[in-house]
Amino acid sequence: MPLDTSAYSLALLRVDGRRWNELRRIHAQIRTQAAADGSSYLEMGHTKVMCVVNGPSEPGPRRGATSGGGSGGGQSKNAEVAVNIVIAGFSSVDRKRRGRGDKHILELQSTISQALAASLHTHLFPHSTINISLHVLSQDGSLLAALINAATLACVDAGIPMTDYVAACTAGSTSTYAANDEGADPLLDMNHQEEQELPGLTVATLGDSDRVAVLVCESRVQVSRLEGMLAVGVDGCKQVREILDRVVREKGIKMIQEGTVERGVGLNDMELD
Amino acid sequence: MASSQHVLLSPAELAYLHASLSLTPPIRPDGRSPTQFRPLVAETGILPGTNGSARICFADGTEAIVGVKAEVERTRTRHDFPSLDESAEDDDDLDDNQNDVVKGDNDWVEMTVEIPGYRDDDAGTVFLSAMLSEALLADGEFTKRLWINQRFHWKLYLDILLISPPLSYPLPLLSLTTHLALLAARLPRLKSEGDEDPLFDDDWAAAPYLYPRPSEKGSKATAPAPAARPPVTLLVMAVGNNIIFDPSKEELAVADVALAVSVGESSSSTTSTTSSKPTAMDIDTEETKGHNLRLLSVRTIDPPSRLTPPGIPNASNSAYGANAGAKDTEKKKQQQEQARTAESEAVEGVWKAPRGGAKTLVMATMVQKVLEKGGVADEVLDALDGVDLN
Amino acid sequence: MPREAEPSANEKAFLLKALQDEQIRLDGREFDQYRPLELTFGDEYGVANVSLGKTKILAKASAEVTVPFADRPLDGIFTIATELSPMAAPHFEVNRPTETEVLLSRLLEKTVRRSGALDTESLCLVAGQKCWSVRVDVHVLSHDGNLTDAACFAVVAALRHFRKPDTSMENGVLTVYTPAEREPVPLGWLHSPFCVTWSFFGDEGETALLDADWMEEQVRVASVTISLNRHGEICQIAKLGGVPVEAVALLQCTSVALTKVKEFSTYLDGKLAEDAKRRDKGGFMAELRAENDRIVG
Repeated sequence: MPLDTSAYSLALLRVDGRRWNELRRIHAQIRTQAAADGSSYLEMGHTKVMCVVNGPSEPGPRRGATSGGGSGGGQSKNAEVAVNIVIAGFSSVDRKRRGRGDKHILELQSTISQALAASLHTHLFPHSTINISLHVLSQDGSLLAALINAATLACVDAGIPMTDYVAACTAGSTSTYAANDEGADPLLDMNHQEEQELPGLTVATLGDSDRVAVLVCESRVQVSRLEGMLAVGVDGCKQVREILDRVVREKGIKMIQEGTVERGVGLNDMELD
Repeated sequence: MASSQHVLLSPAELAYLHASLSLTPPIRPDGRSPTQFRPLVAETGILPGTNGSARICFADGTEAIVGVKAEVERTRTRHDFPSLDESAEDDDDLDDNQNDVVKGDNDWVEMTVEIPGYRDDDAGTVFLSAMLSEALLADGEFTKRLWINQRFHWKLYLDILLISPPLSYPLPLLSLTTHLALLAARLPRLKSEGDEDPLFDDDWAAAPYLYPRPSEKGSKATAPAPAARPPVTLLVMAVGNNIIFDPSKEELAVADVALAVSVGESSSSTTSTTSSKPTAMDIDTEETKGHNLRLLSVRTIDPPSRLTPPGIPNASNSAYGANAGAKDTEKKKQQQEQARTAESEAVEGVWKAPRGGAKTLVMATMVQKVLEKGGVADEVLDALDGVDLN
Repeated sequence: MPREAEPSANEKAFLLKALQDEQIRLDGREFDQYRPLELTFGDEYGVANVSLGKTKILAKASAEVTVPFADRPLDGIFTIATELSPMAAPHFEVNRPTETEVLLSRLLEKTVRRSGALDTESLCLVAGQKCWSVRVDVHVLSHDGNLTDAACFAVVAALRHFRKPDTSMENGVLTVYTPAEREPVPLGWLHSPFCVTWSFFGDEGETALLDADWMEEQVRVASVTISLNRHGEICQIAKLGGVPVEAVALLQCTSVALTKVKEFSTYLDGKLAEDAKRRDKGGFMAELRAENDRIVG
């Protein structure tokens, strides 16, 4: 179903009623599961993912299925970040089953593994493995971004030392590449329908900086539009980072109040209400 | 795979656990009674994009999500003779005359199990999904619910995801989650009639449940019978003569026998079709009140206890001063002999992995305990009734 | 599983120090300079031999008539097969795709196939029944870094050089002509995308190099592959993790990449024209001549 983008120029509203610079609702939780070292649940609009982190631990028997390996094997002086993504059959509108050997999934796994390996202090855990398993429950665009955000949150929950949040979001452009339209506006946080029709890219930045950890563009677009899209994307990542940070802080405050953890030094400056 | 997950318990710990579980009444590490289940968190309708979904978290932290998705599919037309077709379809003759009304095919259900870290063609994963679908398809009633008309049917995809790492044997968790997801599953209401191309009602609120609810509001007098329910598979284990339900990972590590018992519930307003299905192991309980339970399948699970290392009795443990005075060569010889006896003979208080099969009496009691009135299956089904289906 | 050889700590330190303190690459190239790129075509149509320094790649295009996919009856089939055999480097194994191979084939797929470089609709012969299936096999003969750029160049060169047999449809009868009957025809080609890979060095990825060789690839902290065509259209960007790099630096990389892509494009056009001239013996009339080239000697 082609997306009617003609209405955008009239009302400046997108198909789901957002403005160009609006994120969809992001809802996130951490510590969703007791059995894992770290876990998270993240919704970006209707894209829903769950993440479970185990480790750093001794590398288990090598299994063929887990691909990734951010920085060398488990024998190296850095911890290996092994990412495993399961895309549930029911996650998309039309049920489409992907095998584990699917190259697209392997690429996603490798991307997330490498992106996190740059932020996690993997050198503190030589000869060990950090297992990240991601489950996609529902897909509505910005899948890679949601996966990166969920993995970041779960790593925070697992208490693995890291430089900063790796926050991700998508950015797009309002007209297709064919329409050589110089007046095309950038868009923030694309949903599935927009991703199908419009050019877009996924950006992940480290913390508050403008430094880009992941940049993936899979559609054809004029080079002149890249700057605008990238700027909007980086700005979106900062908004996402704020949201993730708030989720972590709220959970932390709650845990202190419930007495699950002791109020440590350095937490004194944190308002508890 | 998961049933033989490595349990890091020493032979002494295993012996202790085994001894306390063999007492009458058994003492479980977490103080539960033999038939008591651990608390669990369950919710349904978590994924609006599916026809039905459910999530269950067990107390040990394992978590599963099941999504049910249905697609309309054209029924393959069979070109063989109708009589052949019927005999291939069902073995009983009672169904034959009404065969053209409603019939199902096992191909209409596709089940996939995803365990993180295991390939989907791993033997363990395949076995799990085979056990779950076996229970679901056992009575041949389920696929009939997917019938739309002569030419079309629903194809049901059940995707079962284990979110957490497989800490304990995930079968009961996956089965309970599947049960809830199927209970919550709804299919769009059919608007077309007869054998024309199916047309469905857009109104999701009007969509009927795959397993129709017992009418709750009013008319209780007319339909007091509980409706049919999807099957549940329970994990039961035995230590000595004690039968223990919902074993934890540690308890499973000392089990003599472990059984996966699948129990279904048919609508007690038994129609001709239901009663005409003679299942080999059909234990139809009298139709009074409560659940109308039927045993669908029993599978033995290879308990991980078989792989545990045996303990060494004090008699042959040189660290405890056995054979202290004996000469070295003599000592060695003696030790070897004793090691051999340790392999074959049980020494009180020393752990030895269970060998051989289970007593038939124990097996029968296990199944009986599941099925009896007010038994465990009854309890579980009642508890699952309490889950809010939205 | 054989493991990839790693450069020694000394080698790594030497390379990094030279790069960051002296601004010198080991082989003396400028930071944005490619190794000499060479392209030769085979005797057959659709065979391209590309060498980039010591990296050597052979791409071969072929076509056959098959049945189109049921969900795309109006499109032909286009596949790119990559193979990293032990011939390229000892740690590659047959039938066990490494991460490098998966990422390489995804990149080629996104750059050439998904960007619509080949008009797949023109491969359709009879809707839903017959179509051309074009396949490019990429063989890595020798691996000395920057496989992506070289492989992408080879694939595009092979496809543009390739000629498929001419066909005709008459009264529902499909005829495929042999090269002797009718001159084979080129593929429906829409644009030529090329990959340009930047490698980043240093703690914050502040040093960027083009066309890293194997040694530099072992030491780099991040890389980005940008695919463009000479019209200034981005076909794909892939910075798959690694050390974060300033967004502004990425934009600069993109604009430099565009000039490189234009150079590639001109080079390929020139080579194709040269090859066409070599093959063209003066057309049909020339073939009918009775004279032979006489070897004077």
